[in-house]
Amino acid sequence: MRLTDLLLWAFTVAFFTFMILPIVVVVVISFTEAGYAAFPIPGWSLKWFARIFEYEPFMDSLQVSLLLAVTATVASCLLGIPAALYLSRARSGWATAITTFLLSPLSMPMIVIGFASLFFLSWLGFGLSFTALCIVHTVICLPYVIRTVTAVYRSVPPAYEEAALILGASRITTFREVTLPLIRPGIAAGCLFSFLTSFDNLPVSYFFGSAQTNTLPVVMLAYMEHQFDPSIAALSTLQLGMAVIALLVADRLYGIEKMTVAT
Amino acid sequence: MTLNRRRFLGTGAAATGLIGLSGLPLRAQNRVLNVTAYGGVWEQAIRDCFVAPFEAKTGATATVSLGGPAQWLAQVEANPENPPLDVLIMTPDLAVLAAEGDLMDDFTVEKLPNLAKIPQEFTDACLGKGTYFDYGVGGITYNTQVVAEPPRSFAAFVDRVAAGEFIASVPSISYGPTTIFFLWALNNALGGDVNNVDPFFAAMEKMKGNLVYWAGPNDFFNHLASGEADLGIYFDGRTWNHVDEGVDWIDFLNPEEGGAMTAVAIQKPKNASDLAWDYLNEVLDAGNQAKFAEILNYGVTNTEVVYSEKLAARVTPLAEANLPPYAEIARVRNDWVDRWNREIGM
Repeated sequence: MRLTDLLLWAFTVAFFTFMILPIVVVVVISFTEAGYAAFPIPGWSLKWFARIFEYEPFMDSLQVSLLLAVTATVASCLLGIPAALYLSRARSGWATAITTFLLSPLSMPMIVIGFASLFFLSWLGFGLSFTALCIVHTVICLPYVIRTVTAVYRSVPPAYEEAALILGASRITTFREVTLPLIRPGIAAGCLFSFLTSFDNLPVSYFFGSAQTNTLPVVMLAYMEHQFDPSIAALSTLQLGMAVIALLVADRLYGIEKMTVAT
Repeated sequence: MTLNRRRFLGTGAAATGLIGLSGLPLRAQNRVLNVTAYGGVWEQAIRDCFVAPFEAKTGATATVSLGGPAQWLAQVEANPENPPLDVLIMTPDLAVLAAEGDLMDDFTVEKLPNLAKIPQEFTDACLGKGTYFDYGVGGITYNTQVVAEPPRSFAAFVDRVAAGEFIASVPSISYGPTTIFFLWALNNALGGDVNNVDPFFAAMEKMKGNLVYWAGPNDFFNHLASGEADLGIYFDGRTWNHVDEGVDWIDFLNPEEGGAMTAVAIQKPKNASDLAWDYLNEVLDAGNQAKFAEILNYGVTNTEVVYSEKLAARVTPLAEANLPPYAEIARVRNDWVDRWNREIGM
């Protein structure tokens, strides 16, 4: 083995160790028997995982987070896919301006979006409601769907759809039989990013938190600030496990590499 | 039926209205009070000590919203005519801001009979629109395994850390209460005042080679547990919580000059439900506060509270803590933060 290969190999190992070790520490701490987070752990226990299910706000907020992430993802697709299809083929200057506008939440600080949305939606009468939370989460998820669908659709030659239309297919049939299968990787990637963006979001959800609408990240933050036990580590381990399982299922059903093509 | 533009707009407006109505807080529908709490043990203590007696006496229901004061204040500011929360737990500086913004109702003994048992200075500190019900004191927490003789005063803390005897963990400016329980407290102990914080910044300059900074309370514990720091500036109640969780190598002392009292204020937004007065009266009740203190290891403000022997040895008496001039600090706080960012940067 050459010296350069050896150095590259050592660098790769060091890099992955640096990236993964903190996660490993959190996972190990979640199994501690101690009442506080410290490493190394004095003994093993599953009691912090039991604590997750005992503490009602964790479970209530998990339900809110899951429902919210699914709703925002579906709403983003319903709004974002038609917009992406139109804007991908449009050639006017307005199309570029609208695309930039729809993608702007990506470049805005989330805390600004959350704070401004709180006042705007309150003024509209939505208050601290699940509806308000859905609207704001859709706004921040929309760019991911538009971006991934646009990226895929622009790589699809217009001739495919034109051929279907010339051969007598209606607009709807062309969309269903030609366009949709071709943009599916972009939709899948957009859904994945939307779901994760909504599920993990703290700065926006923070401003809309109430007894009925608190999301899991908001409750985790509130818990961490005044409690020192390792249940947050256990919750993080559980979330990590769920994410890994979701990715494995997605890979088995569809193939992760097809989604990454879209990005 | 054809869908013309007018019909489309009308249907859209009606749908929007219905969706909006579905978002109205529960309070508007019946006798439900929306109160606030920090997470974890705090939330459980609020439920057991205040919500339960309130519900038993009034027959009403209280929902508990978890979060933080800045979040709750923004929510009230956004909905001043129909506040989504009826009772706010606030930091003292935000309580002053909320009172100055005329967002909160006045506290009087007529509305709150138990207010008579709370020292008047705590209600005055909230400009009469709230009061303190719970407090901690910022002092010196140390690892007993490496610090046999801890510094007994802020002045000794500065000298011994500057001399390299200890590595100290101190709060960074990103932690909200830092300007109160660290900056003001140390500056006050070293002879400064609200209009002159030079002593504090001179002390930080002397100690800078031997300091690590914590951004949140859990960081402080990790600094001590990992050996990254030997001692630091922390709260009494949080230290005792660690002890109760099985940490046998940690201890706290209130510096001789007196640590800063970091209080928790309670307020009622204007236009909030009048049921809030019943709940607030429970919060200020001596029996309920005593129970609350036992759970959280923090002092409470009702003068008739009798602590258990264990808690009496832990709680810093009000007379041995300094009440910061929160309203004055609020006016210069931004200047302090600006100077901190320029001179310390953490």
